[in-house]
Amino acid sequence: MDAPASVAVTEYLEIDLGTETWHCRRCRRALGPAARSYKEGCLVHARDPRTLYPPEVEGERYSFAPDPSLCLLVEFYCPGCGTLVETEALPPGHPPTHDIELDLESLRRRAAGEGKP
Amino acid sequence: MAVDRATLLAWIKPSPPSAEELAAAARLAPGDCEIYSEKLNAILDEAADVFVRTGVSSMLHSGDLVVGIYDPAGNMVAASCGVYMHAVTAQLPVKFVRSHFEGEPTVGIHEGDIFYCNDALYGGIHNPDQIAIMPIFHEGQLLAWSCAAVHQPETDAVEPGGMPGSAKSRHWEGMKLSPIKIGERYELRADLLEMMENFMSRAPRMQVVDVRARVTAADRIRRRVQDLAKAVGAPLLGGLFRKLIMQSEASARARVASWPDGTFRAVSFADTVGATESLVRAAITARKAGEKLTLDFTGTSPENEGPQNAFAHIAAAHMAIYLYAYAFHDLPVSAGTFAPLDFVVPDGCLLNAGSEAAVSQSVYACWQALTLTPIVFSKMMYASQQQSLVSGSAGNNHTVPFVYAGMNQWGGRVADLLGYPFNGEGLGARSDMDGVDCYGFPMAHTGLGPDVEDVETETFFLHLFQNELRDSGGPGKFRGGTGVESALVLYHVPRAVISSMGATTRVLIGQGLFGGYPPPAAPGIHVVGTDAIEKLGKGEPLPRDFRELAEKRQLGGQYRFERTTRASRMIGKGDLVSVIASGGSGYGDVLERDPARVARDVREQRVSPRAALDTYGVVLDAASGMPDDEATARKRAEIRQERLAHGKPWAEFLAEWSQRKPPEDMLACYGSWPDAKPVRPVMRL
Repeated sequence: MDAPASVAVTEYLEIDLGTETWHCRRCRRALGPAARSYKEGCLVHARDPRTLYPPEVEGERYSFAPDPSLCLLVEFYCPGCGTLVETEALPPGHPPTHDIELDLESLRRRAAGEGKP
Repeated sequence: MAVDRATLLAWIKPSPPSAEELAAAARLAPGDCEIYSEKLNAILDEAADVFVRTGVSSMLHSGDLVVGIYDPAGNMVAASCGVYMHAVTAQLPVKFVRSHFEGEPTVGIHEGDIFYCNDALYGGIHNPDQIAIMPIFHEGQLLAWSCAAVHQPETDAVEPGGMPGSAKSRHWEGMKLSPIKIGERYELRADLLEMMENFMSRAPRMQVVDVRARVTAADRIRRRVQDLAKAVGAPLLGGLFRKLIMQSEASARARVASWPDGTFRAVSFADTVGATESLVRAAITARKAGEKLTLDFTGTSPENEGPQNAFAHIAAAHMAIYLYAYAFHDLPVSAGTFAPLDFVVPDGCLLNAGSEAAVSQSVYACWQALTLTPIVFSKMMYASQQQSLVSGSAGNNHTVPFVYAGMNQWGGRVADLLGYPFNGEGLGARSDMDGVDCYGFPMAHTGLGPDVEDVETETFFLHLFQNELRDSGGPGKFRGGTGVESALVLYHVPRAVISSMGATTRVLIGQGLFGGYPPPAAPGIHVVGTDAIEKLGKGEPLPRDFRELAEKRQLGGQYRFERTTRASRMIGKGDLVSVIASGGSGYGDVLERDPARVARDVREQRVSPRAALDTYGVVLDAASGMPDDEATARKRAEIRQERLAHGKPWAEFLAEWSQRKPPEDMLACYGSWPDAKPVRPVMRL
């Protein structure tokens, strides 16, 4: 049985098993080596969370809005199509998380049909 | 003395089978396991029903309970929940009793004994969780154990409500019972009931009634299992117990093996450590190889002087809440499912604090980790046959338990938790549907929120409004379920004590999934001395939600917008206090959400018109409220272009980002920045 060329890993990401490269599932843009974090191939923006959850009371320390000195929304976009691939709520300066680190050899074996239930 | 914490963690896994158990399991006839496992489940469902009908505390009715059957060694065979973590931790005091008291002539284990405990150092979650344990004998031989546990919302601690935010060590937290025998020959001892009633002088009736409820539920299991043993014989049950554990272990190993191998990580941040404001980090790394899965909490902030600490077995048991509801939802609830799991919980982190630590709010420490569990498992399961179980997090950590105490309108002393804040949380969105709005208690899927009318009859509160909270579900292609907002006005009595405990007010604890957003946080609101009761009497307009209250200030009184964590305070008749249950996390890119769904959300007041336009990029026709497809397409294209314009390449982003840091005064309990290692000793009184 032939192994599929790629495996969908998230809603927006797949790994090309031939080239061992991350790709956007919407536009097929390559996002870098699968051995590294896909985030390194994305465009990144630290969003003020108040643009998502604005304050409901003025002049108050506790206002329904997150405090941007403590919490920002780091957004990772596909540079090809602008799809929001992932978000992460982080304090300013906290390193983004290497969230998915797959064993590529195991993934290849699975794609070829080995070890599937 | 209490057993060491490493032993407690090890006891979560099943002990090896004896030769007799293996032989008995092998002798089961075809169909025995299927028929009699269902019989056990029926026994447990009956016991759970008896439990809820017999007891009185709000948390019992909210579903924070377990009834379970355990084999002679204390391994979980089957459980009805309730809260799955209690099913796991109930094993530990049973194993303690076996290992410490079986050969101890002053205690021993005899037919008709009733053991009881609530100390986390002996296997519990925190001391509100009290558990009754009974050995089940058949023809003079120990056949099994029955357990019944539920959260008791009063512990004789330094503050009412059982989870004192001001606690700085275990000595502030009230009654802590190591496993003791409170009954013999099927009779409860009056002197020990009196002792507990005396401890719980803030709510003595609730304590005594609920002790009896626990014992009644455990005894119902005991009677039914003994009846079953008479009918089918002890050897069959012994074989059945072990086979269920073996089946669940084999199934769990196969399930884990079906996921891709790799390492999956997530982090979460809170801004509250009991009475202190400080950032703290929870970190989880899931390492999956073949049929083994290691959950490693290295990187979690150090233990602290407040009550938001836990022990390793508590953190591990919390994982059961996710596993039995999602990843292992179709597997038997028995000890075998934990066999393929290993846990790394470093000594000294807030999930594995020292034995003198206050742990009365251990659930908040663990909920922070629990909120990450769906995230890491979803990233593990997407490329597997469990893709349909991929899900964002439920509300968990944003929801704020609310405690009240005092003399109610009937002259009775009460100290309880308000149940329905938990029972109004939204679920996380999934890969194919929105999170369930106002779902319930994500830790206790069978729980029911009490009726407002019942609460108003039992207590001194008037509910000014209770609504689904708009914009509380994390936005996404599929939206997180909405939470609930409740406004309580003290009505029947001149004064009462309230408190609440939470983990965040200014920080988003949750994480979204695959481009979805986490749900928002919310403040505490207290309006002192309102004229709500007078306005109600005159039929004058009243606020319909907190945003309207905050903006228009229709009620007289002094407005306080404050942290969700509120130390015990006196409130007066007419005071208004907020209670908020949070929404769930979103899934996927907001720009992929069906505009018709957004329009419906706006129409049903789950999403604001502002969020529809600014967040979802959906332009609604002012007259009809329906989406303007062309204008929406233009708006969404603009947002995509903005993303491409302001997004920076990784290296450029990191160069600027790594120079930033939160304010130093908000890192007091965080540990070293950014890796959260211990940087100072923790001093406890």
